[in-house]
Amino acid sequence: MLQGPGIVWYLGIAAFLFAIGALGVLIRRNPLIVLLSLEIMLNGGNLALIAFARHAGNGAGQIFALAVMAVAASEVCVGLGLVVALHRRRLAMDVDQLSELRG
Amino acid sequence: MIAGAWLCLCAPLAGALAITGAGERISRRNAGWLSTASVFVAFGGAVWSFLGLRSHGSEHGVISTAWTWLESGKFHVGLSVLVDPLSTMMMLIVSGVGGLIVLYSIGYMDGDDEERRYFAYMSLFVFSMLLLVQGGNLLLLLAGWGLVGLSSYLLIGFWHERPSAVAAAKKAFVMNAIGDATMALAFFVLIAHSNSLEFTTSFATAGHLSSTTVNLVALGLLGGAAAKSAQIPLHTWLPDAMEGPTPVSALIHAATMVTAGVYLIARTHPIFEQARTVELVAAGMGALTLLVAGLIALVQVDIKRVIAYSTMSQIGYMFLGAGVGTYAGGMFHLMTHAFFKALLFMAAGLVIHALSGEQDIRKMRGIGTLMPWTRWAFLAGALALVGLPPFSGFFSKDAIIAAALHDHWYGVVLAVAALGGAFLTGLYTFRLYFIVFGHGQVSDAIDGSHHGEGPKTMLVPVGILAVLAVVGGWIQLSPWWHPVTSWLSPVAATLGVAEPPKSQEVLASVLAVALGLAGVALAYALYGQNRLAVPRLPGVQRALEHKLYFDEAYDALFFRPAAALAGVLRRDFEEPIVLASGPDLGEGALEAGAGVRRLQTGLLRTYVFFLGTGMAVLAIVFLAVR
Amino acid sequence: MTVSSFTTVLICLPLAGALAIWILPLSRYATGALALLVSLVEVGVWIEQAARFDFQRSGLQFAQHRTWISDLHVSYHVGEYAFSLWLVGLTVVAMAACVGYGFWVGRERPRAYFGLMLFLTGATVGVFVAQDLLLFYAFFEAMLIPLYVLIGVWGGAGRLGATIKLLIYTMAGSLLMLAALIVYGLKVGTFDLVAGPTSPSRWLFLGFMLAFVIKAPLFPFHGWLPDAYREAPPEVTAILSGVIAKAGTYGMLRIAIAKFPEPAHYYRTLILALAAAALVYGSILAFRAPDFRGVVAYSSMAQSGLIALGLFSGTTLGYDGAILQMVAHGLISVSLFLLAGTVERRTTTGQFALLGGMAKGRPALATLLLTTGILSLAVPGSASFAGEFLILAGSYQRAWWWAVIGAVAIVLAAMYMLRLISAVLHEARGSTVHDEALDLRTGELALIVPLVGVLLALSVWPDAISHHSFAGDMPTAVVQEQFK
Repeated sequence: MLQGPGIVWYLGIAAFLFAIGALGVLIRRNPLIVLLSLEIMLNGGNLALIAFARHAGNGAGQIFALAVMAVAASEVCVGLGLVVALHRRRLAMDVDQLSELRG
Repeated sequence: MIAGAWLCLCAPLAGALAITGAGERISRRNAGWLSTASVFVAFGGAVWSFLGLRSHGSEHGVISTAWTWLESGKFHVGLSVLVDPLSTMMMLIVSGVGGLIVLYSIGYMDGDDEERRYFAYMSLFVFSMLLLVQGGNLLLLLAGWGLVGLSSYLLIGFWHERPSAVAAAKKAFVMNAIGDATMALAFFVLIAHSNSLEFTTSFATAGHLSSTTVNLVALGLLGGAAAKSAQIPLHTWLPDAMEGPTPVSALIHAATMVTAGVYLIARTHPIFEQARTVELVAAGMGALTLLVAGLIALVQVDIKRVIAYSTMSQIGYMFLGAGVGTYAGGMFHLMTHAFFKALLFMAAGLVIHALSGEQDIRKMRGIGTLMPWTRWAFLAGALALVGLPPFSGFFSKDAIIAAALHDHWYGVVLAVAALGGAFLTGLYTFRLYFIVFGHGQVSDAIDGSHHGEGPKTMLVPVGILAVLAVVGGWIQLSPWWHPVTSWLSPVAATLGVAEPPKSQEVLASVLAVALGLAGVALAYALYGQNRLAVPRLPGVQRALEHKLYFDEAYDALFFRPAAALAGVLRRDFEEPIVLASGPDLGEGALEAGAGVRRLQTGLLRTYVFFLGTGMAVLAIVFLAVR
Repeated sequence: MTVSSFTTVLICLPLAGALAIWILPLSRYATGALALLVSLVEVGVWIEQAARFDFQRSGLQFAQHRTWISDLHVSYHVGEYAFSLWLVGLTVVAMAACVGYGFWVGRERPRAYFGLMLFLTGATVGVFVAQDLLLFYAFFEAMLIPLYVLIGVWGGAGRLGATIKLLIYTMAGSLLMLAALIVYGLKVGTFDLVAGPTSPSRWLFLGFMLAFVIKAPLFPFHGWLPDAYREAPPEVTAILSGVIAKAGTYGMLRIAIAKFPEPAHYYRTLILALAAAALVYGSILAFRAPDFRGVVAYSSMAQSGLIALGLFSGTTLGYDGAILQMVAHGLISVSLFLLAGTVERRTTTGQFALLGGMAKGRPALATLLLTTGILSLAVPGSASFAGEFLILAGSYQRAWWWAVIGAVAIVLAAMYMLRLISAVLHEARGSTVHDEALDLRTGELALIVPLVGVLLALSVWPDAISHHSFAGDMPTAVVQEQFK
C-alpha cells in the first residue's frame, strides 16, 4: 500500500530533527535561537505524527499535527512578543541571565 | 373549664410579652399593674377551672391538646393542659398567692431602675409555674420545670450589679440543671420502654418495669424534686437565693417553685409507689432536711436567710408526708405553707423596705413598736409556722407527723425527727420574732431611716395573707373533716399505710403542739424581755454558721476538680497539641517548600534536564512494568 | 418557571448576584443593598418552595437531572429531601442575616466582600441539594474558597495563621474524600447519590467521614476551630459555626450513614465515642475560655458532637432530633456570633476580663443576649431542648451511658453559658465598657430579632421540623432505603 521509503526512515528523520532542536534548546543562550530550536523539535514531532498517520491509514495523526501547528504558532507569537519586550527594555539576550523566576 | 385553664396559662405569658414588647412605652407603675392584672386574670381562670371541675364531676381530669409539640416516630407529645383536682389546687395556690405577691411588689420595687424588667420576669415566672402544674404530660412538666428554674435565675440575679446576686443566681440555675438532667434521664427510660410521656401511659408502664429500672426512674424524678425543693444534698442554692428581691423570695422561694418537688411526687406517685424504697428515701431526705435546716436557722442573723432555712425545713415536712404516702397531707401543708411563708417573707419585706434594705436582725431591734401592723402579721405567720392551733400550720403539719408515725420502725424514726423539727421550729421562729419585734430600745439609726409601714399595695396583700394564715387550715381537720384529701383522692389517693387511726392523730398533735410551745418558751427565755445567757457552744455554732460546710465541700469536691480539669485540658492538651498542630503542619509544609525551592534555578537547562530525566525514568518504568 | 427549577434557582440566584456585583461598578452603598436584596429574595424563594413542599411524600423533590460527563456517569443532579429543605432554609436565613451584618458595619472593599458572601451562599446551598457525588464535592470545595478569602482579608490580627490552619485541615479531609468518592464512583459505575448502591467498604467510609468530622468538627479534629472562629469577622464566624459546620453533619447523614450502612454500624461505637468526647471536651473548654467567641466556639464543637451522637445513635428519635438540633443550633450560633460582633464593636474586645455590666442601660442588647444564651443552654421548653431531648432519648436507646454523658453536658452547658452571660452583661462595668457604647441600633435589631423570633417560634412548635424531616413515621427505615 505504501509507496516510497518505509516508516523507519521517517522516524529517523523525525528523531534527528528533534535531537537537533533539543540540542539547540539546551546549549544556545539567545532566546531567539531557543525559540527556533523549539520549532524544530515540534516539527520533528509533527513529522512522526504524520508518518504514523500514513502508516496506520487514518487521519487522526494528521489532526494532531494540525493541532500542534496551531499550538506552535501561538507559542511563537508569545515567545517573539517576549523577545521584543526584552529588546525594548534593553535586557541581555541571554536566557541564563533571565532567571528572575527562580525560587 | 378548659377555656379557664388555657386562660390561666396564657394570661401571665401575655403579660410578660406585653411588658417586654412595650419597652419604655409603658410606665413603670403601669407595668406593675399590668403584671398584677395578668396574674389575677390567671387566678380567675383557675377559679373557673375549679368550679368547672367540681360541677363537671370528671374526677380524673380532662386533657386538652392545642397542637403536637414534639413527635418522632411513635413518640408523641402534645402541647396540652391537664385539669384535674391536683392541678387545679396548684393553679389556685400559684395564681392566687402569686397575684398577691405581684401586687405587693408594686410598692416594694417602687423606684427601682428596672421595674419593667422585674414585672416581666414575675409574669414569666407565674406562666412557667402554671405550665409546670398544668402540663398535660411529663415533657411539658419538665418544660415548666426548666422555665421556673430560668425565671428563678433571672429574679435572683435581678440586681445584677451585685456579684453575690449573680453568683447566687448561677448557683441556683446549675443546681436545678442537675435536677433537670436526672429527670430527663428518667424520662429517657420511660420513652425507651413505652415511647410515651403521657401520665397515664407512663404510670401504666412503670408497673411493668423491672424493680431496678423503676427504682432508677423514681430516683431520677427524686433528683429533680430534691434540686427544685432544696432538699439535702441539693439544697445549698436556696439560702443564697435570698439575694433576690424579697417578693421574689416570697413567691418563688417560699410559696410556689420550691414546693414543686412535692407536687412532682404527688403527681407521679404511681411510679414512686412501684419504687417504694425510693419513696421512703424521699421521706428520709425530708426528715433529714427539716432537722438540719432547723438547726442552721438557729444561728443565722440575716432575716431572710432564717426564713429561707425555715422554708427548707417545712418542705422537708412535705417530702416526709408525700414520702410516707399521704400525698394529700403533703399538698395540704404545701398550701398552708404558701400562705404563712409568703406572709412571713412579705412582713420581713416590709421591715427591710422600711429600713432601706437592712437585713441584719441584730440591727432591727425595736422595730415592732414602729410597725404594729407588720408585727401582728408576722406574729400570725410565726404562729402558723410553729403549728399552734387554731393557726393553719397546725392542721397540715400534725397530719403529716401522725401519718409518718404509722409506718413501722422507720416511720417512728421519721416521726421523732419531725417532732424534733417542731421544737426547732418554735425555737428559731420565735428567736427571730423576739429579736426583731421584741421590746427594746429603738435605736436612733432606725428611727431616722425608718420609712413607715409602706403603701396600701403592700399592706393589703399582707393583710389578706395574714387572714389566710389563720383560717387557711380550717378546711381540713383530719381525721374528722377532710375535704382536701377527698378532693385529691381521685388522682393522689393516700396510701393505706399512711392513714393513721384517730388516737395517733391526737397523740401526734398533742406532742407537736407541746414541743412547739416548748420551743417558743425557750426562745422567750433566751431572747425575750428577760434574757438568759444563750449557752455558748463555739464549735457547734461555727459549724452551723458555715451551714455545716456543704458549700465548702461541694466547692472542693466538684467545682474545683472540674475547673482544674478544664485548666489542665486547656493547658496541657488543647494548646500544645491540638491548637499547635495547625502551625506545626504549616511550618512543616513551608520547610518542605524551602527544600524544593532550591531546585527552581530559573535556568532553562535545568528544567529541560529534569524533563528529560523524568521521561527516561517513566520510559524505564513503563518498559519494566510491561 | 417549572416547579423543579426552584432548587437550581436557589443555587444560581446568589451566584448570579455575586457575578453582577463583581462586574457592575456599583457604589459602596448600592453593592451592599444589592447583596442584601439578593439574599432576601433567596429567602423568599425558599419560603415559596417550603410552602410547595409535600412533606407526606418520600423521596427527592424539586429534582433536576442533566447529564454532565456521560462517560463517567457524572450528572448535574440536584433536589431536596425534607431534611435538606430545612438545612437550605437555615443557610439562606443565616446568610441573609450575615450579609445584612456586613452591610451594617460597612466592610471595606465591598464589591469583593459581598460578591464572596453571595458566592458562599450559592455554594453552601449547593452542598445541601447536590445529589451527585462529584457535584457535592465541587460545592463542598467551592464553599471553602470564599471562606479562605473572607477570613484572610477581613479577619483579625492573627488571620493568616488561622487561614493556613483551616486550609490544611480541611484540604487534608477533602482530598481523602475526593479519593474515596472517585473509588466509589468508579466501582459502582455512577456518581449519582440517589441511584448509587450502598457499599460495604470501610476505607471509603473512613475517607468520607474524615472530611465530615473535620468540618463538623469532632474531637480531636478541631485544631482549626478556635483560631478560625476568633480571627474571622463575626459574621463569617457565624456562618462557619451556624451553617458550614452543619454541612459536615449533613454529609454524615446523607453519605456516610446512608451509603455505607455496614461500616457505619461497624464504627458506630468509635464515632459515638468521638461525638461524646467532642460534647464533653467542648463543654469543659468552653467553661474556661477567656473570651466571648471562645465560649461560643467550643460550645459549637460540643453541639456538633451532640448532633453526631444523634445521627450515629441510628434511632428514629436520634435522627429527628439531630435535624432539629442542626437548625436550632445553627440559628442560635449565628445570633450569638452576631451579638459577639456587636459587643466587640462597642468595646473593641471580647475578653471577659475587660467586659461586664453591659446590661445597665442597654435593655435590647441584654434581652437578646440573655434570650439567645438561654436558648443555647437548652432550657427545657426551647427548640434546642426539644432537639437535645430527642437526641439523648435516642442515644439512650443505643446504650444508657451516652445519655448519661449527654446529661452531664446539659449541666456543663448551663455553667458555661451563664458564665458568658454574666461576664458580658452583669456585675461591675468592665474597663472597656463606656457610656458611649450604645444599646443595639435599629439596624442590628432588624438582623437579630428575626433570628431569635424564629427560634422562639420553633420553641412553641418544634414539631415543625422534628416531624417534617423524614417522610413517614420511621426515619430509620427512610435512611435504610437511602431516602428513596
